[in-house]
Amino acid sequence: MHFFTRDGVVKAVDGVSFTLEAGHTLGVVGESGSGKSVTALSIMRLVPEPPGKVVQGDIRFKGESILAMPEKDQRALRGNRIAMIFQDPMTSLNPVHRIGKQIAEPLRIHKNMSKDDAWAAAVELLRQVGIPQAAERARQYPHEFSGGMRQRAMIAMALACGPDILIADEPTTALDVTIQAQILELMQEIQQRTESAIIMITHDLGIVADMADHILVMYAGKAVEFGTADDVFYRPLHPYTLGLLESLPRHDVDEKGALCPIKGLPPSLIHLPRGCAFHPRCEFAQSVCRSSVPPLAEISPGHFSSCHFASDSAFVERLASRACYVSSAPSGGGR
Amino acid sequence: MLRRNKRNEPAQALLAAAETGGVLAEEGEAFAGRGRTLRADAMRRLRKNKLAMAGLVWIIIIILIAITADLWAPQTLGDPTYIDTNKVAELSLQPPSADHPFGTDKLGRDIASRVVYGARVSLLVGVVAVLIMVVIGLFMGAVAAYYGGIWDSLIMRTADVFFAFPYILFAVALIAVLGKGFQNVFIAIGILGWPSIARVFRSSILSIKKNEYVDAARAMGASTLRILSRHIMPNAISPIIVYATMSIGGAILTEAALSFLGMGVQPPDPSWGLMLSEARAYIFTAPWLMVYPGLAILTTVLGFVLLGDGLRDALDVKLKE
Repeated sequence: MHFFTRDGVVKAVDGVSFTLEAGHTLGVVGESGSGKSVTALSIMRLVPEPPGKVVQGDIRFKGESILAMPEKDQRALRGNRIAMIFQDPMTSLNPVHRIGKQIAEPLRIHKNMSKDDAWAAAVELLRQVGIPQAAERARQYPHEFSGGMRQRAMIAMALACGPDILIADEPTTALDVTIQAQILELMQEIQQRTESAIIMITHDLGIVADMADHILVMYAGKAVEFGTADDVFYRPLHPYTLGLLESLPRHDVDEKGALCPIKGLPPSLIHLPRGCAFHPRCEFAQSVCRSSVPPLAEISPGHFSSCHFASDSAFVERLASRACYVSSAPSGGGR
Repeated sequence: MLRRNKRNEPAQALLAAAETGGVLAEEGEAFAGRGRTLRADAMRRLRKNKLAMAGLVWIIIIILIAITADLWAPQTLGDPTYIDTNKVAELSLQPPSADHPFGTDKLGRDIASRVVYGARVSLLVGVVAVLIMVVIGLFMGAVAAYYGGIWDSLIMRTADVFFAFPYILFAVALIAVLGKGFQNVFIAIGILGWPSIARVFRSSILSIKKNEYVDAARAMGASTLRILSRHIMPNAISPIIVYATMSIGGAILTEAALSFLGMGVQPPDPSWGLMLSEARAYIFTAPWLMVYPGLAILTTVLGFVLLGDGLRDALDVKLKE
């Protein structure tokens, strides 16, 4: 997915590919602006064109290309087989319609239900996502719901048609921590019940650690690491992944120990650095990183990385031992 | 009013929350406001606005007068168009009296009766012309905002061309092309008015389009038409309601102006503008000829403007107390 702007071509998502199996969860992580959301919006075909344009590649659902489908068939998939939960429940519900009506809407569109049937189904869905007194609640308007309840309503809306794929774009970022946990629990419970696949987009590694089977790490519109959750968390093969892991605050270290953020800012997608996009911020950068773009390569079965040195076992060893908190113990300082 | 008979609900909500383990306890208070729709809220605010209510009451009175005119006006006041050729000299230019509360005109017709029938013309022009401009304007605005690009440029530049000409001059020119008469006044005002509606609607769609719930509706598989009618329209319609209400006042004024210039309603049919035109010669000798139709125009237009103003305050969610 590229954006053609006045200032140049923004390669918002560039060469990212993954497959998703039924009942599995894929976590997509990365900083702001790394292309996570655009990836999701591309799947839903929600990126405005122009300026956006899928330049290359394909999006397939059960073997069929979504991109090649006529708009009408795409619409039949959206909200029906593929549903999406948005980031901010405060703004993603329409303020002028009753909650129940909004949840009933996908049923009316895709299942041809009568108004009454769809309403009854909406009430049942609200009950399933844990809203008490669902029948009365359905008659309320969004401004009468709290943030957590609205996100539950959004989930009910996404689930209405029993989708095969649920795309959650930072579903918990706008919620406070206790509600976050409830929402995640709810999503897991639903996944077990419905066998649907989930794409969980987040910048919070804690969330994907809990939920994801596979993790895709994105940086500057490119996939930098892909593998099972265990591989990515315990055997990271890319300095950026390591940086993300290290920048999490931890409770088991001395509270005086400094946090370990990744220094610098993500690059502008119009003026990408030459070579590896991460090299200006990478403390392991060598001259080769500045000159050539590393391809995404399978290092061990099912574990991909796009670092020049990922297959160098000595380097991986160094990566693992370079962990900020580990090294801070004897020398008594941060990085 | 809806709130009053639901007083006991916070307690119920708290009970329910306690049953669910208190997880949702903080939401007990949300129950107090159940059933308060945005529309009911707006109506409540409108009812508190005295000026707007005065405007509304006055408009309703005029509408009732206009609708029922045939039932009482000719009998008690006299026919608005009939000229009794035998008694013209005797009846001409009488000042207000018990028989003719607003006096009579040069041809001996009752002014009050003509003002009453003039209300029909004015209201009909106001409502129909505004309806025409709203329908065209909404369509154009929606296409411009939703499809954007070339459509946006095409429609909005056309609108700019309309704005470039002096309004009355353009209206007179249009009537000159279409021909004098009542129906063509509708058409002229409708055609001249749509660019303003289109502009207002376009800009409110553009701001609403950015909302996540529009993306959510697309993600739900809703068609463009459905998104526009179900999700964008209800949110964008407030400024249109306000603007249309005020435009009715404007359309009445325009009709009066066109009739005054002889381009609108043709004699002997009564119209407030036409009556003013006929009264020009008698400003000093028979001022009642001018005062009553003038007052009718003033108060009717004022009524619509006050109502529109009140609606704007009532429909503005940001002013919510």
